[in-house]
Amino acid sequence: MASTLKPVDTLPPDLPSADVHLPGVKTYHQVNVDIRSTLHPTKAWFGALSIAILCLLVGITAWMYQIYMGLGVAGYEPPVMWGVYIVSFVFWVGIGHAGTLISAILYLFRAGFRTTIYRTAEAMTVFAVMTAGLFPILHLGRPWKFFWLIPYPNWRLIWPQFKSPLIWDVFAILTYLTISTTFLFLGLVPDIAALRDAETHPIRKRIYAVLSLGWRNSDQEWRHFSRAYLFLAALSTPLVLSVHSVVSFDFAMSLVPGWHTTIFAPYFVAGAIFSGIGMVFTILIPLRRWFGLKRYVTINDLDAAAKMCLLTSLVVGLAYLTEFWVAWYSGNEVEQSYFVARVFGQWWWAAWIMLTCNVILPLSLFVQRLRRNTTWLFILSLFINLGMWYERFVIVIPGLSHEFEPWQWTRYSPSAVDWSILLGSFGWFFMWFLLFCRQLPAVPIAEIKEIVPARLRALGKHTEPEYTLPELEG
Amino acid sequence: MQGVLGIFSELDSTVHAIEALRKKRYGDITVYSPTPRHELEHALRHRPSVVRRFTLIGGLLGMTFGYWIPIWVSDYWPLVVGGKPVASWVPYTVISFELMVLIGGLSTVAGLFVAARIPRITATIGYSPLFSDDRFGVWVESPPEHAGAVRDLLSSEGAVEVRSER
Amino acid sequence: MSDTSAPPSGVRRREFLKVLGATGAATAAIGCTSSHVEKLIPYLVQPDNDNTVPGVSTYFATTCRECAASCGVLAEARDGRTFKLEGNPEHPLNRGALCARGQAAVQGLLNPDRYRGPRMRRGNAWANITWDEAIALLAQKLAGVQGAASVFLNRHESGAFPAFLDQWLSAHGLAPHLSYDPLLDGAVVQANLQSYGVAWPAIDFTAARLIVSFGADFLETWGASVPQQLSFADARARGAQAPRFVYIGPRRSLTGLNADTWIPCAPGSELAIARALVGNGSLDDVATQSGAPADALRALRSELESASPALFLSGANVRNAFELALAVNDLNRSHGSVGSALLPDRAIAAFEGASRDADVIDALDRMRRGQVALLFVRGVNPVHTLPAAAGVADALAKVPFKVSFSSYPDATSELCDLILPDNHPLESWGIAQPLAGEMSLQQPAMRPLFDTRATGDVLIDVAHRTAASSRFGMTSYRDWIIEQYPGGVRAFTAALEKGVAPGRVAGRMSAPRSTTAAAAATPAITPLAEGEFHLVVYPHPALGEGSGANKPWLQEMPDPVSKVSWQSWIEVHPTVAKRLDIVPGSVLRVETSAGHVDAPAFVYPGIRPDTVAIALGRGHTAYGRFAEGIGINPLTAVPVALHPGAGVLALSGAHAQVHTVDAFDELVTTEGSARQHDRGIAQVVPVTALLSREERSRLPQTVANVRMPQAENAPAEGGEEEEEYPGKPDTDFLPGLRSAVAADAQGELVSKNAKDRGMYALDHWSGMAKRRWAMTIDLARCTGCSACITACYAENNVPTVGAPYQSTRTPGYQGRPGANILRGREMTWMRVERYYEGNVEDSSFEARFVPMLCQHCGNAPCEPVCPVYATYHSPDGLNVQVYNRCVGTRYCSNNCPYKVRYFNWFGFGEANRTQYAWPEPLHLQLNPDVNVRGKGVMEKCTFCVQRIREAESRARLEGREVQPDEFTTSCAQACPSRAIIFGDAASPDWTVSHVAADERGYHVFPELNTYTAVVYLKKIVHPAPPEAPSGA
Repeated sequence: MASTLKPVDTLPPDLPSADVHLPGVKTYHQVNVDIRSTLHPTKAWFGALSIAILCLLVGITAWMYQIYMGLGVAGYEPPVMWGVYIVSFVFWVGIGHAGTLISAILYLFRAGFRTTIYRTAEAMTVFAVMTAGLFPILHLGRPWKFFWLIPYPNWRLIWPQFKSPLIWDVFAILTYLTISTTFLFLGLVPDIAALRDAETHPIRKRIYAVLSLGWRNSDQEWRHFSRAYLFLAALSTPLVLSVHSVVSFDFAMSLVPGWHTTIFAPYFVAGAIFSGIGMVFTILIPLRRWFGLKRYVTINDLDAAAKMCLLTSLVVGLAYLTEFWVAWYSGNEVEQSYFVARVFGQWWWAAWIMLTCNVILPLSLFVQRLRRNTTWLFILSLFINLGMWYERFVIVIPGLSHEFEPWQWTRYSPSAVDWSILLGSFGWFFMWFLLFCRQLPAVPIAEIKEIVPARLRALGKHTEPEYTLPELEG
Repeated sequence: MQGVLGIFSELDSTVHAIEALRKKRYGDITVYSPTPRHELEHALRHRPSVVRRFTLIGGLLGMTFGYWIPIWVSDYWPLVVGGKPVASWVPYTVISFELMVLIGGLSTVAGLFVAARIPRITATIGYSPLFSDDRFGVWVESPPEHAGAVRDLLSSEGAVEVRSER
Repeated sequence: MSDTSAPPSGVRRREFLKVLGATGAATAAIGCTSSHVEKLIPYLVQPDNDNTVPGVSTYFATTCRECAASCGVLAEARDGRTFKLEGNPEHPLNRGALCARGQAAVQGLLNPDRYRGPRMRRGNAWANITWDEAIALLAQKLAGVQGAASVFLNRHESGAFPAFLDQWLSAHGLAPHLSYDPLLDGAVVQANLQSYGVAWPAIDFTAARLIVSFGADFLETWGASVPQQLSFADARARGAQAPRFVYIGPRRSLTGLNADTWIPCAPGSELAIARALVGNGSLDDVATQSGAPADALRALRSELESASPALFLSGANVRNAFELALAVNDLNRSHGSVGSALLPDRAIAAFEGASRDADVIDALDRMRRGQVALLFVRGVNPVHTLPAAAGVADALAKVPFKVSFSSYPDATSELCDLILPDNHPLESWGIAQPLAGEMSLQQPAMRPLFDTRATGDVLIDVAHRTAASSRFGMTSYRDWIIEQYPGGVRAFTAALEKGVAPGRVAGRMSAPRSTTAAAAATPAITPLAEGEFHLVVYPHPALGEGSGANKPWLQEMPDPVSKVSWQSWIEVHPTVAKRLDIVPGSVLRVETSAGHVDAPAFVYPGIRPDTVAIALGRGHTAYGRFAEGIGINPLTAVPVALHPGAGVLALSGAHAQVHTVDAFDELVTTEGSARQHDRGIAQVVPVTALLSREERSRLPQTVANVRMPQAENAPAEGGEEEEEYPGKPDTDFLPGLRSAVAADAQGELVSKNAKDRGMYALDHWSGMAKRRWAMTIDLARCTGCSACITACYAENNVPTVGAPYQSTRTPGYQGRPGANILRGREMTWMRVERYYEGNVEDSSFEARFVPMLCQHCGNAPCEPVCPVYATYHSPDGLNVQVYNRCVGTRYCSNNCPYKVRYFNWFGFGEANRTQYAWPEPLHLQLNPDVNVRGKGVMEKCTFCVQRIREAESRARLEGREVQPDEFTTSCAQACPSRAIIFGDAASPDWTVSHVAADERGYHVFPELNTYTAVVYLKKIVHPAPPEAPSGA
């Protein structure tokens, strides 16, 4: 199509968006119509939302019980002092990495497939981090004192201990939450403006007007906006890498065999991106089906994302092998006996779930047909979520239960409270996401238009196209 | 404040209109577009945005705070943990980095707000809801004596609609 | 090494004696009125006499009555409540040490299940009555009874009370009382009376060159365990001069685990071995007969030729125990230990006057025949401590009127008609006779907690109402003992200050009986039928025969051998477990002619494959919330086997069938892995290697090693080049005591630009930074007895978590005894790890005990990970835990390689919680110097920081420096083998700095550069002499 575009006299042929990503999308107006059409609650949506809230209530009840009784009602078995909660914390933080990665890093790399999936991924990021942030609090022995970890001014000048990785966590997570929320909102502003302009209902129009900050699509706004967006992306990129590195420091900075290793930072970051993309598939594939967004989230974009998933899966697999090699090469008896126990000890099954879901199954993505098969991608993504949760389980629990003191070797088994709170966290996450995806565009409007060819007089007069387009593959 | 608003449906005709208006120098031009288009930026030839300065200053501030606060706190309560020096800069680098990103990012947004003058409360003239849909707009701020000429120019460049507003 | 054996508590002793000078007299003065009940002094009200100053402890020197040995204790009381017992350093018997059972006496005193007043049975219900009614009733019941128609079953105790009791009984024309002690080894007493004329000669292990124990568990319940343990530890710490120790018996008890060689033999065959060692009988026959390895016996015999004196002890509780004891006495005589290692002239008088089991059984028979009209029971629980086959309950049912003086509801008192609850020994007056020439005085450390009265007083009041009133003019039992006391009231009052006095109170002597020990009377070892096992029944080291079971500390203290708590278990050999295809925890049924018991199996390499062993002490039907329904009582399966001559009851040696029951009862154990995987936690050094090194270690530079150059010539601001910091592990000995990091904690490496280093500065006025509190634990002395654990519980308000009512919320184990411990939630700040070394398949394996507590690392990994400064390094080298600041991230525990941090999973310390560990009035035991932790915070050993600060404050008040060895931690103070020494390692004047310089010193996990403040001294192993092949 680019070839058919003949520049008229002095018009600079600077039309990068002319080579078409979205064959199914012809005009700007169509973008507005299609995407606005997703923003209305349905019965199915209400059903899903109520299920999510139900799960959340289960979790809340469990937590209240735990606060009243004490942490003993969870499955902790000293010296396994960290359990399901920290596992889930790392799991959710990991989920929260795909979003900013896709929106920021791929933005810097100008990856085309980023545009259509980044909004979903970013929203997912924000809600995942909101979920992750709960776990460090509810795993505290005295959760009502959690604010002691935050450096707030007090007249006794008692401050947190800044050498502790947990304080680094506080800073990293809060920064990440703030920045990714800002990033998400900033990207939304022009789209909300579009909604505002098209909205007829007075109250909703007013709400959109406020949210859109009076955005007018003027050239001044656009040019500062692009700059700010670029710098935010530039800041977010190292932030993404730092956050999960800091989370990995919680383990790497300690003495525990299996934790105390230098590869943790890259290993965790790769794992985080891996799990994040997994979750993106879990969310995006049903979304594009139910919201009729197949023209926007094309099979090519999913294919590209699947390639990234494959890459990170290979990195993670390499990290697993490296860990074992380091243990063997170190000649450290404690380390070695731990790694033997990891694969053949009481949690051998968890280790094998991890290896199967994170390393073996993703190898199927080498096959293009499977990469372009959304059903398989969806099933695989569920396995990836499971596998990544168990990866964290395998890191946290066997290490603690197989430490230096043989006399203190022990078991661990999560209790009903643990599981309920984990369930509640899923409820919390999906509640937010469902609320989001029916109120605000899960696929960007303004940025889609960047990759949709603008209407040009050079192409001659043409009528408004009617939206009877062939159903797309996938 | 008064001027003429031309609404276009094609990108290239918008660009031509801008070029022409810039030659004539009737007055300040504001261009509306549903999405940022490089063609328009080229046509308008803006100076680089000032947002980057906010980012730089914010980032530096954050970095400084990130070192200063922990070191000051450590010296205020000189408690030894793990036999490490009371004020040890290495672990504080993490704090410093995170604060750099945080404050840098927030000040970037502040920069955007300042530079682009948002949030904007007053509904200003010379805007059409179509600009967030699929139309491009050119607002020429021009005294009444020029209004006629501007309207002719805009319509000759192929504006689907031209109207004066005040 | 000898200097280390001195108890490091010099000045403190003088301190409390000062206090006692005032208080003892005061006690005596108010003691006269102690008969009428007074309330405890409310906490806030100013006490009415000088006896209690708020916030200042008063120490009462009194006597422990938990077992017959009657050690001297100091009861620490504050604001009118007694909350801690410590050994009396002045006492000749226990020299300041105290076993776990002794310390737990406080929990007996403050037990929530005590009888709160007299009561009598009306129909099937209990009715509370007043003391007047009770005494009147008893006086009236006494009227018709004469002579042997009444039986007074008293717990065996030495000193004045037995004499008083007999006097009272004779005054009423009743037969003398039976002095019953289920723990006392009657066979040995009978044999000793016959051989030496004394019941129990004192034992001096240091004089022996070889110790051979035929099942005598002298570190546990056999004899006077504390003095024996002190002497044994002294002997074993003598390095090259230390005696070897050979243990002969079917099961390796705690004592057996401390032996260098274990010769497993079938129960009952000890006698044959003993005789063979004398020379008659060929070793090979004996070996085949007893199942003991022949070469081991041969090695022992050849070793006996050289080793002299060789000390022999017999404690096997089998049918021929009496003959065994006699044979052992012959062995002692022939191997020259009588007079050197065995001292009849320094007899332990505490065991004199005990009745024979036969007398008790006979009394039961008379009851059964309805010849007994009136039964008194005081301090014993025969229904629980005699074999069910003896039919105690039936016998009691035949007695028309039964009076119990028991302080607690128990299986026996439940069957009685009148309960006259006795005061707890810590509320009572008395005189004990631990040694022939030494009296141990007993005075109330606390007013009676409930409406209870000392039995002596009660009996006197009864006498006032009967014809015997003329012979009991005195108003109280205290007056009576003062009459008996040589020197009268003044001498008595004066002696109270020390708690001990020379002399002998008119007590009750047991005449040497002429018991015939014909070899014919010896039942031959009956061979086992197919599938049969020998059944060995032994007293629990902490719970004894069961009297300790209502004290949560003792229930919670892991059994030193099996590490099981709050539960009974059956010990079986690994090969048996393989054959029966069972795992630890599988329920087994042990069935004998007398009955059967079901209990989970504990797979133990230290028992013969043809033997199963069960501990006494648990399985109470009625003994309060901490004992009821916990574990089983093996006596239900033990037939009554009375020795014809000596009248001793043999509990072990019955033949039993062992079946698997289709049930699983998870073992409540604190054991993770029983092997230390070559991680150097418990290290040993062979005595031979020690010999060669001793010359070198004699060089006088040992002290210089621990003296820290830094401390002396460090500039005031502590500027020091990081490169040459002190305590590089490769350059300095014992880096922990002044490592780089410790030095940093002392403020020497703190960043130069830090304006104020506070108390870390060496020139700070508090001088804290000049100290480094440290501890040495001598594994050559440590026997693993676990008294330190109880001491820690007592001192630091450590909650017990295993009681059934505390387990209600533990997922998966609701209401099960020890559920929290199954989940690993025990709170013991100090634990004793028991590691096996060598091949556990045969008898040659070695057991090593390591007390593990917070190592107070100079470079503590727990500190930098805490986000809120809840744990940090104090200037004097302590690893401090700030409970109020802790938010409970538990990161510190994850990062602790020694795993010595404990988390409050439930509200163990919150009175309104189901898991509350101190139900009223047990909460009176809480140490006012230590706070009680709420749920959700981390806690750990503090090196008894409250004692450190107390000593510092005392020194400052008196305007002096803290004296070397002025005070010590609770565990070190209690340790009956003096293995633990605490002090300031930065000063060469403290004992600990010398001991830490010992060549055997080592740190656990030095490769982690934690620079611990706890220095372990390697255990010394004594391999069998080379000329003889080692046993097994």
